[in-house]
Amino acid sequence: MRSSESVPYPHLAWRLYSVWYRHMRVYTKNLLSNGLPPFLEPLLFLAGVGLGLGRYITESMDGMSYLTFLGTGLLVTTAMFTASFECTYATFIRLEFDKVYDGMLAAPITVNNLIVGEILWAGTKGLFFSLAVLCILTPFGIVHFPNALLAPLVGFLTGVMFASLSLLVTSFVKTINHFNFYMTGFLSPMFFFSGVVFPVSNLPRPVQFVAEVVPLTHSVRLVRAVCLSRYELVLLADLAYILLFVAIVGALAVRRLRHRLVS
Amino acid sequence: MAVISVSHISKTFEGMCAVCDLSFAVEAGSCFGLLGPNGAGKTTMMKMIYGAAARDKKCSGTIEVFGFDPACDELSIKYLSGVVPQENNLDDELNVIQNLLVYAKFYGLPARVARERIETLLSFLELSEKAKARIRELSGGMKRRLVIARALLNNPRLLILDEPTTGLDPQVRHLIWEKLRQLRAGGTTILLTTHYMEEAFQICDRVLIMDKGRKVLEDQPQKLLEQNIERYVLEIPQEQAAKAIDGRRLPEAVRVDHAMGISRFYCDDLDRLKVVTDMLDGQAYYLRQANLEDVFLKATGRGLNEKQ
Repeated sequence: MRSSESVPYPHLAWRLYSVWYRHMRVYTKNLLSNGLPPFLEPLLFLAGVGLGLGRYITESMDGMSYLTFLGTGLLVTTAMFTASFECTYATFIRLEFDKVYDGMLAAPITVNNLIVGEILWAGTKGLFFSLAVLCILTPFGIVHFPNALLAPLVGFLTGVMFASLSLLVTSFVKTINHFNFYMTGFLSPMFFFSGVVFPVSNLPRPVQFVAEVVPLTHSVRLVRAVCLSRYELVLLADLAYILLFVAIVGALAVRRLRHRLVS
Repeated sequence: MAVISVSHISKTFEGMCAVCDLSFAVEAGSCFGLLGPNGAGKTTMMKMIYGAAARDKKCSGTIEVFGFDPACDELSIKYLSGVVPQENNLDDELNVIQNLLVYAKFYGLPARVARERIETLLSFLELSEKAKARIRELSGGMKRRLVIARALLNNPRLLILDEPTTGLDPQVRHLIWEKLRQLRAGGTTILLTTHYMEEAFQICDRVLIMDKGRKVLEDQPQKLLEQNIERYVLEIPQEQAAKAIDGRRLPEAVRVDHAMGISRFYCDDLDRLKVVTDMLDGQAYYLRQANLEDVFLKATGRGLNEKQ
């Protein structure tokens, strides 16, 4: 019974998987109510905004029809929103109200495993939500297959990126209502000023600069590139931005949430 | 052989000492109780044992569980232990079996093994009929038993329970105590926190009474009684006691304590307390053996602390 004894606790990949598995099981428990909206929402959006409003928009946007422009943008905004909700409100409820993490941390996983598993799960939701949008876009014939099959992967990266950011925000939040600032003050503006609804290239320079700093713009460029097979060198910078963002913000989130979970 | 050795451990929260220089050891196969009022530091001490709380960096004390330090090898400790947290944090979305299956993943149990073990555990905790029930349909006692089943999934050598029976009805409490006794008989080491003296008396081989983060007393429950309190207690409402006694001399070796509207008379000799009851003119009184609660209240005081 000395510390030289090696205890066969599961290895890292399995520990992350078990956290992911817990979230997956809970999410898929209500498959209909959880699984249908990701398909319905883009359909509504494309029907209402793309087809309805789009009829009046005759100018091409960055060389594409409005439906194509908006539709491809939705592939990543949906991932952004689902990952952000998952890692703000849902995380906060697990943390403060349901005390789910207290139960999970009694099992052989570390706080880091718990948080990274959480981020991977949010990425998976991003992937699934992107895939749902892709399914809706396919009948319109506006995306190029097979390259567009990479779009859900961009959705995954987007989900991971916004999960990291949202967890960092969550680490500061004391009451659940504070998330409204993040949602209305950060995510909603980003939806409009990251080249999803209209191109940023014609906006004033300061706004363009801000658009380049915030994360969503880079996801949007990546996903359009794979959907329309328009590859440019700048995409490497976008990919680098996303990876760097996840590494830095993710590490900060883990560090800060650690203090909240381990007193 | 000690499964847990805690030596000179302190934990400070925002300048407040939650656990102060605490030391104790839990022998393999025994049941050890941490007793104390709310805010005494029981849960904090317990969490430090399985790595859910970190001890003060500057404290030079040590914690060893199965020879592992929770600060650097929490995974080994958690793999060998089962933990029942204070709150029943079950997944409401999942049913009873699914809750356990999800949790079995954390231990890397293969699905077949997990299913077999879950069946055994549900029957052990008398929950077999509820296997497919939703969590919301369970009573408080069932939820508690389910959390205990969850903690037992990996056949732990050490079971850690934070207030296992708080808020449960007497039947369930006795059932849980019986199960804990069975586990201990099977060789499982048990560490629990409680503020029920009866619980400590019923199942603990050794108890540590703590207050304001410090150890007040530690011994076998029976010895604590013998060494720290008179054998009998007479309880009388304070007003009546004052009227009845009213300046009269009490028998030798009778200790009196007035608190919360009750006067308590303590003595090793039952006959001397009967002398006091004779002064009462037939008014109601309650004469009983002293219990751990009396020791506890004597040791920690009757006043409320700021956390109660």
